[in-house]
Amino acid sequence: MVVSMELDISHVNRREIYRYLGYRGQIPDETVCYMIEEVLKELLRVVKPRNLYQSYECKVQNSEIRLWNEAQEGTIVFKSKKLADNLVQCEKVILLAATLGIEADKLLQRYEIMNMAKASVTQACGAACMEAYCNLVQEQIREQQLTDGFYLRPRFSPGYGDLALETQKVIFDCLQCSKRLGLTLTDSLLMYPTKSVTAFIGITKNKQGCHIARCSSCENTGCEFRYED
Amino acid sequence: MRIQDVNLDMKIREKLGKEIIFFDGAMGTELQSRGLQTGEIPETWNILQPEKIKQVHKEYLLAGANVISANTFGVNSFKCRNIDYSVEQLVSAGIRLVKESIVEVREEFISQGEKEENLPDMYTALDIGSLGKLLKPLGEIAFEDAYQAFKEIVIAGDKAGADVILIETVSDSYEIKAAVLAAKENSDLPIVVTMIFDENGKLLTGGDVASVTAMLEGLGVDAIGFNCGLGPEQMMKLLPELTSCCSIPIVINPNAGLPSVVNGKTVFNVEPEEFAQKVKLLVENGASAVGGCCGTTPAHIKELVSVCKDMKPQPITDKNLTVVSSYNHAVYFTRKPLIIGERINPTGKSKFKQALRDHDMEYIYKEGLTQEEKGAHILDVNVGLPEIDEPQLMEEAVTGIQAIIDLPLQIDTSDPIAMERALRCYNGKPMLNSVNGKKESMESVFPIAKKYGAVVVCLCLDESGIPETVEGRLAIAEKIVKTAESYGIPKKNLVMDALVMTISTGKDNALITLEALRRIRYEMGIHTVLGVSNISFGLPERGKVNTTFFTMALQNGLSAGIVNPSSEPMMAAYYSFNALIGEDDQCMEYIEKCGAPSEQPKNAAGGKSSELTLEEAIIKGLTESAYHATMKLLEEGKDSLTIINDKLIPALDVVGKGFEEKKMFLPQLLMSADAAKASFEAIKKVLSESGKKSETKGKIVIATVKGDIHDIGKNIVKTLLENYGFDMIDLGKDVEPEKILKTVQEHNIRLVGLSALMTTTVVNMEETIKLLRENNVNCRVMVGGAVLTQEYADMIGADFYSKDAMGSVRYANELYEAGEI
Repeated sequence: MVVSMELDISHVNRREIYRYLGYRGQIPDETVCYMIEEVLKELLRVVKPRNLYQSYECKVQNSEIRLWNEAQEGTIVFKSKKLADNLVQCEKVILLAATLGIEADKLLQRYEIMNMAKASVTQACGAACMEAYCNLVQEQIREQQLTDGFYLRPRFSPGYGDLALETQKVIFDCLQCSKRLGLTLTDSLLMYPTKSVTAFIGITKNKQGCHIARCSSCENTGCEFRYED
Repeated sequence: MRIQDVNLDMKIREKLGKEIIFFDGAMGTELQSRGLQTGEIPETWNILQPEKIKQVHKEYLLAGANVISANTFGVNSFKCRNIDYSVEQLVSAGIRLVKESIVEVREEFISQGEKEENLPDMYTALDIGSLGKLLKPLGEIAFEDAYQAFKEIVIAGDKAGADVILIETVSDSYEIKAAVLAAKENSDLPIVVTMIFDENGKLLTGGDVASVTAMLEGLGVDAIGFNCGLGPEQMMKLLPELTSCCSIPIVINPNAGLPSVVNGKTVFNVEPEEFAQKVKLLVENGASAVGGCCGTTPAHIKELVSVCKDMKPQPITDKNLTVVSSYNHAVYFTRKPLIIGERINPTGKSKFKQALRDHDMEYIYKEGLTQEEKGAHILDVNVGLPEIDEPQLMEEAVTGIQAIIDLPLQIDTSDPIAMERALRCYNGKPMLNSVNGKKESMESVFPIAKKYGAVVVCLCLDESGIPETVEGRLAIAEKIVKTAESYGIPKKNLVMDALVMTISTGKDNALITLEALRRIRYEMGIHTVLGVSNISFGLPERGKVNTTFFTMALQNGLSAGIVNPSSEPMMAAYYSFNALIGEDDQCMEYIEKCGAPSEQPKNAAGGKSSELTLEEAIIKGLTESAYHATMKLLEEGKDSLTIINDKLIPALDVVGKGFEEKKMFLPQLLMSADAAKASFEAIKKVLSESGKKSETKGKIVIATVKGDIHDIGKNIVKTLLENYGFDMIDLGKDVEPEKILKTVQEHNIRLVGLSALMTTTVVNMEETIKLLRENNVNCRVMVGGAVLTQEYADMIGADFYSKDAMGSVRYANELYEAGEI
């Protein structure tokens, strides 16, 4: 189902924004902080975040993941060692797609013409808003699942580890992302609107700690934006 | 009975809106229940499982549906790339299956004793859905490519014998326009467009009911409405919005309620009886053709037909609205006047002319964004200069402006080719400036205006010039209205310009215009527009006369003033006028726009700080201070080169070094860059006043490679390199390797910067480098982007890997100093 939830300015993690802008653990000066708050307000005024998700039964064998549900005929097969590791012991998987919508890209384009500093801030704020929105959606899913005694694994997206970007095509088909969210996929497998996310969320009976993904679980240790948690 | 004998007497176009017409229900879910697998393309069943497709069609026909949508929704050249069948094969098979189903069902009815003349109408619809691709400049496919893809479908469907074209479940007005043009230009079939709105009445790309209705009525489609996304109940809430602005028949095909997920399965809860009752409400409130979408079944349609078959549609009235629209909203001509921004126009502006010659699109976009910020409702776009390719530039300007600016555009040109190209690529219902009473003008402009549904500005002049009397101008207005009518253009799509002549050459000029204006608006009942500032031509202090005349014109029935929205007195007059005529509720707009300005926090970006040196202003990133400090230095007699070399560049170096040492950060680097840019503006201004040109260090080509649509990184690098005096040729994003090669060869370029964000697009970076090397161009390549590393850059044969924005500056400077750029 397509759900839109209120994304509030208080949901957005400012430290993420600083991090995306290259501030390694430092707080920007007053001027930049002010600019960030201004851009966040403008961004949240114009964007129309939307999401949709669908739950599947799941079976993981070696590095093969099979998903199926009653609504769709047939089984969907993915191959990825890393995703299989992520989903091990999961009974179910939720496929999630979420987007801030085309408005975020429009705003970014405007600032790229009028004010490059603001454009860079918009880029970072957009990414942080997308993250915050995904967390919000995930929180809703967590509550629903908890009532049935299930827990969530961290989100896992195409392009992470050895999960091929080609996976996007399958997720787009399963969730009907184009028709229902207005998401499009370029031939080079990039999503447009650019502030969009697709992901697998494993559902398990095993109690989990926090399901929000951490940098320490990522193997790209040389990442510019990495922070230790 | 042969297939071609059926439907010979089809008149769906005449019946639309006059009697209730029933569409069929869902196809996808019906096929899934017949065994269609996930990932399987439903349209291949037109060839692989024709009997199953016919079974669905026949069930809907037996349920009483009049319009059967062929199983062609997802067929297009993009999707057919990876399957064994062509678009034509799938479309013609799809249409044939509907037609065969119709023949068989009619025979079945007749064999049951029904009389042939009593059988319900049965029509075959060519069903066209979205291409699933976003159009340029935001997305990856060109408007014309989308058009070609739709054209292929239309030609196949028309040839196979469809009775009507149904463009459905679409949510991007630009794509819809491409589909409608393809349908109109390649067939004579009636066109029905139903769109997918959310509960707030918005398309996924931001359009609203009023904006797309304006566009589609303008394009002359036969019926419009909603389908998918919502159930009948939610559509009922949106329907008044549609009926209030729509003057053509309305088609509504709702889902069987809103989808909900039960045990991971998407279900639609509205049962046939409830569905029929709720759709009946839609019919009572203005829908004249109804059917179903996701979750509806033959049982839903059967119930719907039995509940609604004896109903009569609500009469359709002409809402008589003068309206233009952008991709996301409509602007109506009403009692409350409008502001049309006049600044995108080279007339009398040497800087603008230079920008056009230099192909500096950013300059044009800035003019647009500023006017939007200042309160314009519509933007006039004029890019005509004798020495440039106006049609090409006009198309580019319109495409570029509408991608970033939300306002409707007024296409301003006298070149019919530029006119047509601009109207064609325009995303909405455009305004067109202008036609006049000359036979030649009307003959060339009206057919184009009619085709694209433009609102046309009509100048009250003709072969004998501009009449000096009120009556003379009215007579021309009458002539234009009559001629427009003969082209099928109604009065509501005309806006009259009674023409402003300066009072410095005739004392009654203002009075004649005002009286003509009043009579056109209130006696002829046509909205009006004026290029206000012409009134003061040849006088000193023109703003004063302009403002007074503007107020007088507003009082005499001016619907829209073509003015400079950055002129504070003009805008003050405008807001005051609205408040005075009771068109500003509680004077809120007046208070907001004309009240005391709100306090800006000190030191905020762009704020002014008194008396900083140029170095300080740049280091702190204060644009206005940088501009003023530069001006001051110039006034003191410092020459521009000294300012650049002794002050500007050293200040930038301080920031650049701070950035590299991680003491300063990206936003600060860019604020300084913007401040430096302002300083350059000041220098350029003074140089051009003294007839000199600023020198540059040489040209660099920069581009985001093919397939990649992220270009902020590239734009950051471009900004910085410009600061350091390089002349940047920015080819944009998603750039073909061939285009980069061509530009490098044409301009004899020695350095190219390439950006790519994803592993999937780095391959195109490699391809570009390969192409440059193969052609032996003497040029270096620097690369950058999120996924790149030094190793990767080496592997694909780049000369330099820039790990951040400053890296490219250092490299370019090194090459410059070594005399290699």
